[in-house]
Amino acid sequence: MALRNIRQMGDEILKKKCREVKEVTPKIKQLIDDMLDTMYDGNGVGLAAPQVGILKRLAVVDIGDGPIVLINPRVIASRGEQTGDEGCLSLPGKAGTVTRPYYVKIEAWDEDMERFEMEGEELLARAFCHEIDHLDGHMYVEKIEGPLHDAVYEEEE
Amino acid sequence: MIDMGSDRINSRELVLDVLLAVTRDGEYSHIVIRNTLDKYRYLSKQERSFMKRLCEGTLEHMIWIDYVLNQFSSVPVNKMKPVIRCILRSSVYELKYMNAVPVSATCNEAVKLAQKRGFRNLKGFVNGVLRNISRNLDAVVLPDRESKPLEYLSVVYSMPIWILELWQNSYTMEQIEGFLEGFLAEMPTAIRVNPLKTTKEELEKELKAVQVQVRETELEDVLFIDNYDSLERIPAFAAGKFHVQDLSSMQVGLWANPPKGSYVLDVCAAPGGKSLQMAELMQGTGRVEARDLTEHKVLLIQENLRRCQLSNICAIQADARKLDESILEKADFVIADLPCSGLGVIGKKSDIKYKINKKSCEELAALQREILHTVGQYVKPGGILIYSTCTINPGENEENVAWFLKEHPEFYLEKQQQLLPQKGICDGFFLAKMGKR
Repeated sequence: MALRNIRQMGDEILKKKCREVKEVTPKIKQLIDDMLDTMYDGNGVGLAAPQVGILKRLAVVDIGDGPIVLINPRVIASRGEQTGDEGCLSLPGKAGTVTRPYYVKIEAWDEDMERFEMEGEELLARAFCHEIDHLDGHMYVEKIEGPLHDAVYEEEE
Repeated sequence: MIDMGSDRINSRELVLDVLLAVTRDGEYSHIVIRNTLDKYRYLSKQERSFMKRLCEGTLEHMIWIDYVLNQFSSVPVNKMKPVIRCILRSSVYELKYMNAVPVSATCNEAVKLAQKRGFRNLKGFVNGVLRNISRNLDAVVLPDRESKPLEYLSVVYSMPIWILELWQNSYTMEQIEGFLEGFLAEMPTAIRVNPLKTTKEELEKELKAVQVQVRETELEDVLFIDNYDSLERIPAFAAGKFHVQDLSSMQVGLWANPPKGSYVLDVCAAPGGKSLQMAELMQGTGRVEARDLTEHKVLLIQENLRRCQLSNICAIQADARKLDESILEKADFVIADLPCSGLGVIGKKSDIKYKINKKSCEELAALQREILHTVGQYVKPGGILIYSTCTINPGENEENVAWFLKEHPEFYLEKQQQLLPQKGICDGFFLAKMGKR
């Protein structure tokens, strides 16, 4: 297990557009593993490569149903909307209200560079949008309605 | 991204909290459900009605649900952790009664909820039990109807056996099954038109304009309504143009039918439906005193009075067990709708059947006698005492009336009736009209 250093908001790298991944080299495989470890370590449900300082179109997501690796992901359809609080590992302790589509369909490539499509609703749709935004140099704070506020985490019993 | 959790108020999690409050903490289901719906009033109507149905349905069918769970789970229901038990119960209700919800959704949501509440290690158990039940729901073996009729009815209609035994003394199996069906059937809300504010025709029009479904009933000035979100959101309700009162309880007013100018004393009045009915029957004349024990109940009455703005009625806090000498032999009508075991309104408040027991029925019967003995003294000679309960239990009803008449020979019985619950129409209710010589 290797944890990578998470870049914090203000870091110029988070504002840059990422480059496509052409092939999954051993280095990329290692990066994916490290990103998953880093995401789980931070109790995140998604992490994009630029957040660990790598300007590649690559993200990982796990909303509790197992890890999803997204290479060169793109939203190809969306529907409805949901409004709610969002947080980001690059801005710990804060949250802000963001409206996202309720449903999105994405296309992406997996670790064997096989193309796949995937649909998501609610949290999964939100996570897809949030991570894909990172790959284009955007943070959720650009989209918040109302002020950024201190995060209150739900406690488990 | 970090999941803040707040964007998806998970309706199943709200249901879980309601079920825990009712089954673990002993709170009253109708109050917990109402408070939850109030708190999350911004949720869509669909989500709110999903939650309401899932809560009420799970409680209504809980004996059957537990029976099924015990057939498929290696751990008996009463040994499960409360959170897991409640998740499984509402999920089994979904599997059986909510055909619009896919089986996979029910199972996945249950598993996620178990994990979210800190039972990651029981995810497999929850998933296994539910998948197994979903595949074998039609193969559930019920108790044999012929050899064990009470067990059979108890499981099929989720009614504790001791209540069935109580009814068995006075009613046939067919009658009992009729009540049980009535309790489980959808019940429309009965409303009484306030004749001082509007007419039935106008009210119908006004309700239909806000998409409330309206149906006529056999009673004049009474309608059934359906398909509304919450009463407070119906403008005509806030304006006091109608009251909610069950058909059976309206009988009290019809039996009394007080002439104009009467003095009516309602000794356990909250929330005030019958008092308002009397005040309206007297068309604003005479005087109705709506009494109840606690400040909270008096506030409830006052809230309803405010909506209707009747001048001939007032709410007073008083203990019906304590004799108030200032009103001895003063009242033309005394309405005694007393605290009871509520076995007639199980259709509306399904947790009653799990909370009440034989002993509390006996205690209630004693309390009813004590109150009847006291409030009978307020009836003036020639006046009327109406005793009513919303239960089906001879010990609280017919036997109490017989006791009262024996102890108080100055009273004679005009009539008494046990109204039985009817499918989709009314609750079970008892009333007795007694005159004072």
